[in-house]
Amino acid sequence: MAKTDINRRDFLKSGAVAVTALAAVGAGVGYLKKLHGENARTQDFLRPPGAIDEDEFIFGCIKCGLCVQICPVQAIKLAGIEKGLSYGTPYIDVRAQACDFSCDSLQCVETCPTAVLYFKQFKDAGEEAIAEYEKTHDYNDPDFNPFKVQIKAMKTKVRMGIAKVNEKTCLAVKGQGFKGTPRGDDFKGIYRSPRTGDPKPSPVSEHNFDSEVCDLCVTECPIGETAIVMDENNGTFKPKVLDGCTGCGVCVMVCPTQEPSIVVEPIKS
Amino acid sequence: MFGNKNKTPLPPKSKDQLPNAKIGIPYKEWHDNHKNKHKWRNIRWAALLTINLMFVVSFAFDLSILEGSLSGSRLIGFYLMDTFNALQVILISIPGGYLPSLTMNFWIGFFTILFLSIMGGRTYCSWICPYHFLAEMTEKLHNYLVKKKKIKEHTFNIGLRFVFWAGFLLLALLTKNIVFENINMVGIVSRSMIYGPGLILLWVLAVLLFEIVYSKRFWCRYVCPVGATWSITGKAAPLGIKFELDKCAHCTDCQDVCLVPHTLWFVKRGKATDEVHYTGSDCTRCGLCVDVCPGEALKFSIKGLDKLV
Repeated sequence: MAKTDINRRDFLKSGAVAVTALAAVGAGVGYLKKLHGENARTQDFLRPPGAIDEDEFIFGCIKCGLCVQICPVQAIKLAGIEKGLSYGTPYIDVRAQACDFSCDSLQCVETCPTAVLYFKQFKDAGEEAIAEYEKTHDYNDPDFNPFKVQIKAMKTKVRMGIAKVNEKTCLAVKGQGFKGTPRGDDFKGIYRSPRTGDPKPSPVSEHNFDSEVCDLCVTECPIGETAIVMDENNGTFKPKVLDGCTGCGVCVMVCPTQEPSIVVEPIKS
Repeated sequence: MFGNKNKTPLPPKSKDQLPNAKIGIPYKEWHDNHKNKHKWRNIRWAALLTINLMFVVSFAFDLSILEGSLSGSRLIGFYLMDTFNALQVILISIPGGYLPSLTMNFWIGFFTILFLSIMGGRTYCSWICPYHFLAEMTEKLHNYLVKKKKIKEHTFNIGLRFVFWAGFLLLALLTKNIVFENINMVGIVSRSMIYGPGLILLWVLAVLLFEIVYSKRFWCRYVCPVGATWSITGKAAPLGIKFELDKCAHCTDCQDVCLVPHTLWFVKRGKATDEVHYTGSDCTRCGLCVDVCPGEALKFSIKGLDKLV
């Protein structure tokens, strides 16, 4: 009898400690949530394609890192504790390594088990595009290949953010050209250049440019003219971002100015 | 939780019924004759290191063997999902109206691990969990300090885990965040190995230090809801440790090496209620007790299967 009394007292005592500990953790979480909240998405902290609203994203992500593993250009990284509640969640710093759609099928989204990177929208868009293609193309034609339109439909549906040009520093706005490799020889970032048509991603440092008026953000954009065009007006130039911009950040990665003259602003709900 | 502990114990064995008496040697000699070859420990460590190394190698060399981390992973394309993590996801996705969006892969992973835990209980803890490995190492230091009387041993109530278990689920529900994953030893150590270390490892160090100087295996014994989940699901797990009373001389060496000594309650003299006992659902099937037992009274077994054979 005396022993059970001790046991009960012991349990209540340690139980109280446990509840206090839980309350402390809860308070900490509440504080961090207030501190970072929905503003976790910043220009150097974009979420991978298909990420749902930030406040839901942060609750659903189990920090498994499968998206990190599958990315062929290793654009996705996991955040450290300095990001508060975003600890362990995936992000993309496009200046360091942009998402260039090298995987062709949004594999990070498809691999996500909890659907905080939500694949259905892309799947639907891809299937719609195939259906459309099949209407106008003959199945028996040896050139019949709906995958290209499927890939295109899927990637154009991505909205990680939208690019914005800084006209104060942009070389094109200043009317200046660019010659050489945009980020120096030591820069590690890789991408698949639409200009060369190489199906494999290659290092930015291996690409040499020589343009009278700098237009790297326009020529290297994986989406093309629905996303960004060079606006030419009486000899003055300005890269113009259009509605088709996916926020993939290749333009930011290849921008040759010291600070990028084009940044991807996250879309906030 | 304690099996048939409430039954009346069998009368304690007399001296000449002990296994050493049966072969006619003194207890001390019989006890000291047993050389611990650490067979199961070595097998287990090899398995644990191999599994965790497979994660690291898969990421480092871009192989599709075992991807992800211990929070959620893919074994050659087949998803596996940590049960407590998945429970939190399910719990907060219901009020969020988010439940239907959960992928088929999520459910496959969830039910696979759930099934495995129903069959094997907390086997994961000592055979896979990388934090367990670290804690097992620091436990030696702790034991040394206790032996040298530098520190005192502090124990808590074993039911504390379930307070934390319910508490973390409640916290997830209230904050709409998988709170526990931010402080989860398993996830942190696993991710740090695979994707590179971060400042968060200070938290792991702090807990390890606490375990060294204050309370042995504090996290695994009293906090970790990951293991607590499998204590619950593994209530009737067939895989376990079988105890045979007639081979036991009550030296209780097994309880000294056990992570969860209360599952071996029946080894004390006059406690056992049956000739054969199985360890409870808190047992991590680490095999340390099997290795240490001088009378081979403890063995790995699959309940039901040994009756068939």
